[in-house]
Amino acid sequence: RGDKMAAAGPATQRVGFVGAGRMAGAIAQGLIRAGKVEAQHIVASAPTDRNLCHFQALGCQTTHSNQEVLQSCLLVIFATKPHILPAVLAEVAPVVTAEHILVSVAAGVSLSTLEELLPPNTRVLRVLPNLPCVVQEGAIVMARGRHVGSSETKLLQHLLEACGQCEEVPEAYVDIHTGLSGSGVAFVCAFSEALAEGAVKMGMPSSLAHRIAAQTLLGTAKMLLHEGQHPAQLRSDVCTPGGTTIYGLHALEQGGLRAATMSAVEAATCRARELSRK
Amino acid sequence: MSVGIIGAGQLASAWRREAALYPVGSQDNSQLSGNEPAHGVGAQEDGCEPDTQQQGDSEAQRCPVSGREIGADVQARHIVVSCAAGVTISSVEKKLMAFQPAPKVIRCMTNTPVVVREGATVYATGTHALVEDGQLLEQLMSSVGFCTEVEEDLIDAVTGLSGSGPAYAFMALDALADGGVKMGLPRRLAVQLGAQALLGAAKMLLDSEQHPCQLKDNVCSPGGATIHALHFLESGGFRSLLINAVEASCIRTRELQSMADQEKISPAALKKTLLDRVKLESPTVSTLTPSSPGKLLTRSLALGGKKD
Repeated sequence: RGDKMAAAGPATQRVGFVGAGRMAGAIAQGLIRAGKVEAQHIVASAPTDRNLCHFQALGCQTTHSNQEVLQSCLLVIFATKPHILPAVLAEVAPVVTAEHILVSVAAGVSLSTLEELLPPNTRVLRVLPNLPCVVQEGAIVMARGRHVGSSETKLLQHLLEACGQCEEVPEAYVDIHTGLSGSGVAFVCAFSEALAEGAVKMGMPSSLAHRIAAQTLLGTAKMLLHEGQHPAQLRSDVCTPGGTTIYGLHALEQGGLRAATMSAVEAATCRARELSRK
Repeated sequence: MSVGIIGAGQLASAWRREAALYPVGSQDNSQLSGNEPAHGVGAQEDGCEPDTQQQGDSEAQRCPVSGREIGADVQARHIVVSCAAGVTISSVEKKLMAFQPAPKVIRCMTNTPVVVREGATVYATGTHALVEDGQLLEQLMSSVGFCTEVEEDLIDAVTGLSGSGPAYAFMALDALADGGVKMGLPRRLAVQLGAQALLGAAKMLLDSEQHPCQLKDNVCSPGGATIHALHFLESGGFRSLLINAVEASCIRTRELQSMADQEKISPAALKKTLLDRVKLESPTVSTLTPSSPGKLLTRSLALGGKKD
């Protein structure tokens, strides 16, 4: 069954989206830009045209019928708001087959809940993207359901790498991903703001400071990912003896940056766990 | 249409003063003179102990007016608006349902700057209140500031933010003035300038589409005085203190509310303030017409209240 999907190359790979909001749009755009899927092979459904126009602009097909998406695509990504997902799954359940691979991006809706809402033996995965998927630099994790094999998982991973980094994890890591990387985007923004304000304090105009701060984050992240060294190593490499960086780092440590950051990830993770229990 | 106010606390006085001075509910306020209110406003003293101090003060006692006392007079056409902190719509409805099958209840949370027509008010409509009842209240409360409808479960958060918010601002203003005095300004001038600075900033933000941090950046010239000052604020954890304050006020409101719901604590011991209850008589909204001052006098006399 997985083979049929894996054999579908870019020319024929079809992907459906139920829900056409920002995240669905980001994933679709990534797939098209990376050449993984052709626009005309993407079908998206939504209750109104408000979001569908973005899909139409990309050259995708659109519909108001959720069932139609499942009838025309075997791989379907559910990108609705979490609280309406159960109703949507109930609506499409009658047309779900053993051939389908259904993917949910909803926060807080577990694999077991998804499996309960769908026919037995349905192949379900959870995908947790983060906002930078919209610029194809997402940090994405996937968790697979009971009936999903490695080939379907690899297929999905290969497709989602169009949107950034994508790795499979046990479902238990999903809330931690939220705390680290979902919410992490906001933490990084706060850090970037603060870097820039430090520069403004020292005499640099604000907009220039903000651009340089963001580029510094981007460049450092790129070095860490490409060179594969431990961040502590890169940090130490930048700190010449008695130089500027070590003085700055000392001030950072005195301010308790590390503990604050750990607390931030912890608080966001705990809240994600709380919310998914509700 | 006339409006009755039960209670003689801060909100009631603000309301009486402002509603008498500024016509409300008309399509075009500029057409009505300042002396002729569109609606009669009556305020009665009904044996309720007035609040003597601001919201949240430990001396405040819960007004003994309760559903039991006014319940018998409430008719189907009345809209009962409760401004009592921590009192849920369902508890008001429950009390009134002893007298009316479908009492129209709206819950309202406002704040003290209504006294200068810069209040922040939210309201949530009860089971039997109609859309036009909510709109009527919104029209009335918009005459004393900002007013919008919310879901009832947000009212605690609103209390934490804009209910208590003026207190946070007063504290900040006192400290800002201290800073001014320390650096050589006479006290009165320092208070005036501090208050005007906050007022101006608030106005800029409300008038702007920009993020407050963008507006902040616009004030901070590179290497300048302001950014130096902001660094101190950040070092002191200014942002998190404010977040903590809003959270604490919201949580405390919920605690008080659940204590009240359980009715285990006597009302007098509860440290919450019942501002007043605004009792509105409502025909349909479309029949709002200016009433003459004579009618105003008649109504308030009939209630046995004092003339303004």
